[in-house]
Amino acid sequence: MKLGIVFGILGCLALAQEHPPMVPPAGPGVFTAKPLGRDTFKLIVAGHVFTSRPEIERYLAYRAARLTVDKGGQWFTLKEDRAAGETAVPVPVRDPAGARYSFRMNYFRPVWRYKLTGAAEWTRWSPFSGAPFPAADPKTMSDFEVSAEIVVRKGPMDDADPLAFEAWAVSDLLVNQVSPPK
Amino acid sequence: MLQSTLKVCCVTLLAVAGAEAARWEKGYVVAFYDPAYRFGGRADYSRGTDIEPGVDCPRGSTVHFAVPQQVAQSLSLVRWRSPKEVEELANPPATGLTRDPAGVYFHTWRAASAFRGWNREIETYINPFAAEDPGQPQVTSRIGEGFNLDGKVKPGDFVSPDGEKGIDNQLYRAWGCDAPWRGANGNGTLVLRSNDKMVEGLYTIVVRISGNKDPMNDDEATLEIGYSPDQIVKDARGNVGADYSYRLLHSEQYTKLKARIKDGVVETEQADIHMPQIAWFENQTRDAFFRQGKIRVAPNADGTAAGLVGGYRDFRDLYTQNAFAQSGGVQGVREHEDHVALYYALRRNADGMYNPKTGRYDGISSAYRLKLVPAFVVEPDKPMDIPSRISEARRRQAFDVTAAATIKAVDTLIPQPVPAGSGELTATDGIEIGVGGVPIRGRGGRGARATSSTEEKAKGPSDERR
Repeated sequence: MKLGIVFGILGCLALAQEHPPMVPPAGPGVFTAKPLGRDTFKLIVAGHVFTSRPEIERYLAYRAARLTVDKGGQWFTLKEDRAAGETAVPVPVRDPAGARYSFRMNYFRPVWRYKLTGAAEWTRWSPFSGAPFPAADPKTMSDFEVSAEIVVRKGPMDDADPLAFEAWAVSDLLVNQVSPPK
Repeated sequence: MLQSTLKVCCVTLLAVAGAEAARWEKGYVVAFYDPAYRFGGRADYSRGTDIEPGVDCPRGSTVHFAVPQQVAQSLSLVRWRSPKEVEELANPPATGLTRDPAGVYFHTWRAASAFRGWNREIETYINPFAAEDPGQPQVTSRIGEGFNLDGKVKPGDFVSPDGEKGIDNQLYRAWGCDAPWRGANGNGTLVLRSNDKMVEGLYTIVVRISGNKDPMNDDEATLEIGYSPDQIVKDARGNVGADYSYRLLHSEQYTKLKARIKDGVVETEQADIHMPQIAWFENQTRDAFFRQGKIRVAPNADGTAAGLVGGYRDFRDLYTQNAFAQSGGVQGVREHEDHVALYYALRRNADGMYNPKTGRYDGISSAYRLKLVPAFVVEPDKPMDIPSRISEARRRQAFDVTAAATIKAVDTLIPQPVPAGSGELTATDGIEIGVGGVPIRGRGGRGARATSSTEEKAKGPSDERR
């Protein structure tokens, strides 16, 4: 009997493994895509339960890739959101003679804003400022928003652009890894 | 008067009938077979770590797994590895137990390279989509060989050496800087290796062109290409000998095409082409399937000819063929290529075999050169299939199961484990690869033979790294 249960569970696990990967749907207000132009979108992932910076940024990257596919694009470019003085991290430069990439996740650098527990004001954190992320303990965040502006592109990818991301490649990489924040 | 008119008519009719019935045939054996990558560098010239930089590849051939700095850069993309760990893997210490420092690099790097996925359990070469893109230098030149397969002239297309626009050869764009396939006059390491193996008997390809009109101008000619079971015959100088006889099998690696000949240059219709693919191990000897393919044969003054075959090839075939003759790690470190980078480059540049279910391209345009030596191409006495070598069955199975797992992984996006019998994690030089990319010494035999019986091992040494 016990053996039967064990085999049953193993069988279910094996079957579950055969299902194509699916990212759970996001709750209301977790993801928004605001059109800023014909192919330009501001994407925001918002939540209240902070897990980790890479985890939440990867979810945003996945949604950027999916949006690109849904809009009929093949790739997208990230428009870095650098405020005045945020120059501690150099702007990535094109290198047509060097290696080409389908994506460089290290260059997917969205900007954060967050509220610490009990705080009324939002605090901005930029990956280009040179400041560590964030100064306070992330676990004390009560609200956060991660945002990125992207341009959806069609046709052959400009793979010499360090801020270019091939949508399907990013989606394939991340589909098994991400879930929406709460 | 009537008699002489009848005579003239009869002579004319006979002449016409004779001309139409004058069937002709030309045969060739393929003496050299390589991807149509156009080398633009300067042979034997290096600049720092740039190997033979040129107009095709401004930074030269790939140097994946060639220098510690590059290895560190690749492994730093693996998020579960700490910077200290990356540094140690890129610069592995040669211990007192190891007499061969190069071997330490080889085994450490091939093991680490096999586990670069988003978690430490995922084997990378079977699941390349689960690793970050380490980057692949691409061809920047505008000149390339091949065919205009889609009849269009697009921004990324090449211009042929004789000025034809719209040449589709995105495989050259994607892989043309890959070290083992790049070099002056076909001296890339895998170009040389695969051709050595072909000439030594691994496989033989023959071409037969026939028609009923003028062999120099015939708009109803036929071109056949396919596998021959007969080993290539060399002359006293070691070159491929001319005018020997080879059987042409009507096997799964055979295609018959309509062709037109103008001023001696043969150009076929556009159709699916089956013929042997490039191989350097027996387990790779299988069908190269060109969709919307085409063949051109241009005669040379000395009786030889230059052939070009092109078409769209399935990216999964190209990837698995290149990666799994042995294992992705062995191949990558030895040849200074990175199959994760090659995978992404293939998918990024794919331009054919549109898949409406996925909305993506499954094929990439390609072209291969054939150097043809005159031969007599004949039918076999009785129908026969491509012979298989029983001694290679285990290695062939290793390739098949690994390729099947990869294709399943890529198609479903469900990371697949290393299947039983695969060559991916089995021992090379007595060193296995453990989960997480850990080399484990003193285990097993070599490669796919690691699980073979003592009796089988006693039959002779493995040629795993020949």
